[in-house]
Amino acid sequence: MMGKVTLRNLAAHKIRLVLTAVAVILGVAFVAGTLIFTDTMNRQFDDLFDDIGKNVAVDVRAQKVVDADDDGAAARPVPASVLEKVKAVPGVKNPVGNVNGYAAVVGRDGKLIGGGQGPPQLGTSWTPGSGTYDMKSGRAPNGPAEVALDTGTAEKGRFAVGDTVKIVTAGPPQRMRVVGLIDIGNMMGATVTAFDTPTAQRLLLKPGYFSDIEMGTTGPGEAELRDRVAKVLPAGMEAVTGEKLREESKSDVAEFMGFFRTFLLVFALISIFVGAFIIFNTFSMLVAQRTRELALLRAIGAGRPQVTRAVIGEAVAVGFVGSTFGLAAGAGLAALLQSQMGDASLVFTATPVVSSYAIGILVTVASAYFPARRAAKIPPVAAMRDDVALPQRSLRIRVALGGLLVLIGAALVGVGLGGGGGNPVALVGVGAFLVFIGIAMLAPVISVPVVRVLSAPFAKVLGTPGRLAQQNALRNPRRTAATAAALMIGLALITVVNVMGASMRTSIESQVDKQFGADYLIQPDGGGGIGEEVAKKVAGTPGVDDATPMFAGDAKINGRKASYIAGSAATIKSAAKLEVKSGTATLGRDGMMVDEDSAKKQKWTVGSNVPVQFTDGRTQILKVTGIYAKSDIIGPRVIPESVYRAHTARPEVDVVIVNAASTDAATKTAIESTLKDYPNLKVSDQAALKKDARKQVDAFVSFLTILLVMSVIIAAVGVVNTLALSVIERTREIGLLRAIGISRRQLRRMIRVESIVIAVFGAVLGMGIGVAFGAAVQQSLKDDGLSELAVPYGTLVAYLLVAAVIGVLAALWPAWRAGRMDVLKAISSE
Amino acid sequence: MTNTAPPTADAHPAPGAGDFAARAHQVAKVYGHGDAQVVALDGVTVGIPRGRFTAIMGPSGSGKSTLMHCMAGLDSVDSGQVFIGDTQVTGLKDKHLTRLRRDKVGFVFQAFNLVPTLTALENITLPMDIAGRKPDRQWLDQVIDTVGLRPRLKHRPTELSGGQQQRVACARALASRPEIIFADEPTGNLDSRSGAEVLGFLRDSVRRMGQTIVMVTHDPTAAAYADQVLFLTDGQIVDTMTEPTAERVLERMKGFELPGVGAR
Repeated sequence: MMGKVTLRNLAAHKIRLVLTAVAVILGVAFVAGTLIFTDTMNRQFDDLFDDIGKNVAVDVRAQKVVDADDDGAAARPVPASVLEKVKAVPGVKNPVGNVNGYAAVVGRDGKLIGGGQGPPQLGTSWTPGSGTYDMKSGRAPNGPAEVALDTGTAEKGRFAVGDTVKIVTAGPPQRMRVVGLIDIGNMMGATVTAFDTPTAQRLLLKPGYFSDIEMGTTGPGEAELRDRVAKVLPAGMEAVTGEKLREESKSDVAEFMGFFRTFLLVFALISIFVGAFIIFNTFSMLVAQRTRELALLRAIGAGRPQVTRAVIGEAVAVGFVGSTFGLAAGAGLAALLQSQMGDASLVFTATPVVSSYAIGILVTVASAYFPARRAAKIPPVAAMRDDVALPQRSLRIRVALGGLLVLIGAALVGVGLGGGGGNPVALVGVGAFLVFIGIAMLAPVISVPVVRVLSAPFAKVLGTPGRLAQQNALRNPRRTAATAAALMIGLALITVVNVMGASMRTSIESQVDKQFGADYLIQPDGGGGIGEEVAKKVAGTPGVDDATPMFAGDAKINGRKASYIAGSAATIKSAAKLEVKSGTATLGRDGMMVDEDSAKKQKWTVGSNVPVQFTDGRTQILKVTGIYAKSDIIGPRVIPESVYRAHTARPEVDVVIVNAASTDAATKTAIESTLKDYPNLKVSDQAALKKDARKQVDAFVSFLTILLVMSVIIAAVGVVNTLALSVIERTREIGLLRAIGISRRQLRRMIRVESIVIAVFGAVLGMGIGVAFGAAVQQSLKDDGLSELAVPYGTLVAYLLVAAVIGVLAALWPAWRAGRMDVLKAISSE
Repeated sequence: MTNTAPPTADAHPAPGAGDFAARAHQVAKVYGHGDAQVVALDGVTVGIPRGRFTAIMGPSGSGKSTLMHCMAGLDSVDSGQVFIGDTQVTGLKDKHLTRLRRDKVGFVFQAFNLVPTLTALENITLPMDIAGRKPDRQWLDQVIDTVGLRPRLKHRPTELSGGQQQRVACARALASRPEIIFADEPTGNLDSRSGAEVLGFLRDSVRRMGQTIVMVTHDPTAAAYADQVLFLTDGQIVDTMTEPTAERVLERMKGFELPGVGAR
């Protein structure tokens, strides 16, 4: 057995082991952290829903018409009369009508507690004795001016029982007295406000209506009770068991969590992919350095499979150790995230453990497989000769294979971006993966001219150390290329994200310029709607010509979900600079305007009658009155406000479009002062809309960049690894250089320059690919709003500098080591 | 006295002949192409007698190392046949070649003889470990005592002197009782005293244990330890000497009209 040789090698080269394992640890930590964190979140939500719904045997609610996500304004309410009917059903215990909606608390600084875009801000009815939550102090709200707050919100706003708070709902702001504090458990920072039922109905829903009716059972099973209750319900209402209700809530969260998990895992896998390059490179170097030892083993009778197994054995050990630490680091990461959410207990399932080890070991072994195969090909006679080189496959084959992979990959990306194939996202992913591997295979050939150019200035300025660095970087193009390729991947993806971001910004700005015809837009900042009174108040503001509300909703056309905008045709036409292609920009009582695309798809012309089913379940026939050119701001359809109101239980204004005599600062200030009681509303002019869009895009770009930074860190570890191993490999040479008079400083400089050149080469490759990918993605989304291509040259130059800095940092330790080498020992070393 | 009789090896050994531990028949090996072509072996036919200590001598470039590599199955031949015992080495697939080296051949190299991460004892038993066999404890003890390494068994190669390292290598070659041991300049890197120790030890293992050893060397003093010396020049066996002494070998070497003759 060669296990002993394997183990001893690992023990003898701990630093190599650690450096290789770091690549595994970081990648696995990312995977394990994601899995543990999402598992924990899932479990917490499951517990929460179990707890909230534990006393509910049957729930009565409106049937969902348009889709299962109907919520908020679109959800139809349950008339109070249903509660009386349900009360009479035998077996029903304590039926309670609930009212839920948007309500936020204004803090002492005049801003919303919990911000505009953040955790949910929920208002609910409080029915003593049946609540989901427990009253912690004070008493239940009673009457139109009383509210109970959750303890977390009260703490954030420094409110106590007896204080007066301002509550914002989709209506006029309310001043209310805090009478109680409720414990909502761990709801991730959500705000909950509770009112008595009539107040909740008035503020959140509609007097005489409930969001749903919950009930317990006096004995019958949930299904039995559901059937009994269903018999007394009017059309359009449904009864579901408590179990189904809990499962629905859970599966909603599970679905979201699943998406979130997949999203994070994609980035984790990118890190692992980068790590694979590092592992491949390290094992290649280890095998090269151990040629004589492996040949000796072959000479004294080790078979090829035994040598392969010995190297693979090392990979298994590195993978195992890396996975173990990675798992631990992942758990730590998840705990850190959890503690940010206020609860540090983690849920451990088998999945993260099994996946961590499976991924860590598999990736390490797969990456070490080719080096291990090469190790087995070392001829035994190499044990006795100095000049036996490892058999290397010709670069020509590599170039051909690499080129082929790039072509196939690019083709797959092209097909995927074009929306072809069964799963475009997977196609693009696999295609990009192949392109990366292909470019990595081509990289040794590309590296020679590029590295020569990159290192030329160093060679000129620094003299001999610079020239030596250049030669070192060129000496083994495969190694330089593999190291750079790892960095390439991260930077390519970061470049794609940045190109996309810049293109999005430019596209949105040009859309605002071209399509936004109004002077101001008032919209909610985050959740909730706009009260009906807002438009009237703003219209009365000095300097304002008109303020028109616009509504938005979902309906069903031909069995498919169809979103619409509702409002005045004239206002919408001028506000969105609609270009009417045929018909007129009028709606009348039952008209509908549609854009060219949907008209073409549905074969509608002006005068076509279209049956539209609304969220109340009723279908109305609307006549196409006008067809307009595609508008990113308005979307595909516009219907009359009256039709929207007729089918919507609680109409909510989506935005208010304001036109003013002059768009100077004074007008904006005047509108803002009109709205000072509405901290949830935001007034935007063109510049502000652009700024908002820019901010959102920037946040998105930074978020993705941060997720990709992990892969860059792993690649940086790879540079350290390569340099450290090169230094060991060149011990004699370095000793010789020192012996003939090169100073430590010059030596360190030499290694640093090599490192910078490798890192910058990787960055240049990555950015090239990134810009190409970014442009391809932009082209494919040209008709979906991403009309302009923008390459953020400034940012890319900054990343190039970052790559150089990574090079400098990566060289620190290897250079220090090389400088510290004992000259005599170095020369005489084997 | 130079033995001018045809070398033993010239009598074409018939396959299956029991008195040779290894044989080469018309072995040729050429390196490189065109102008850079070097004929390393030019139809060598030689037999290594069983239970004897044979030295192969020749000036550098004479092909002596190549001959040994080919006979040991470490390197391929261009034409001709090589046998170890009754097994034809030439034409064997890597798997069988590996097994042959493992079970029937021992090696002692000039340098880089030991796996640096293993202790002396582990290095000695490594071929058996690779084969998955248990070493013969008694035999192992005898070998260890003969090379005098008992107090140093737990040491790593870097903690041993060059002579000690080479003795570990000899012990490793002997421990699995191979049919034949090939030694490639085993004293090339040693001072004369350590070299003498190693050579004496190799000779003893032939005399006392009946081991067959082939040694490539260009040192007449080393060759004098052997039972017979084969002289190789230009890829051909040109002479054989039995009962050699350093003086006679040196004298014979001087006869080769080649640059570098009698080096050292």
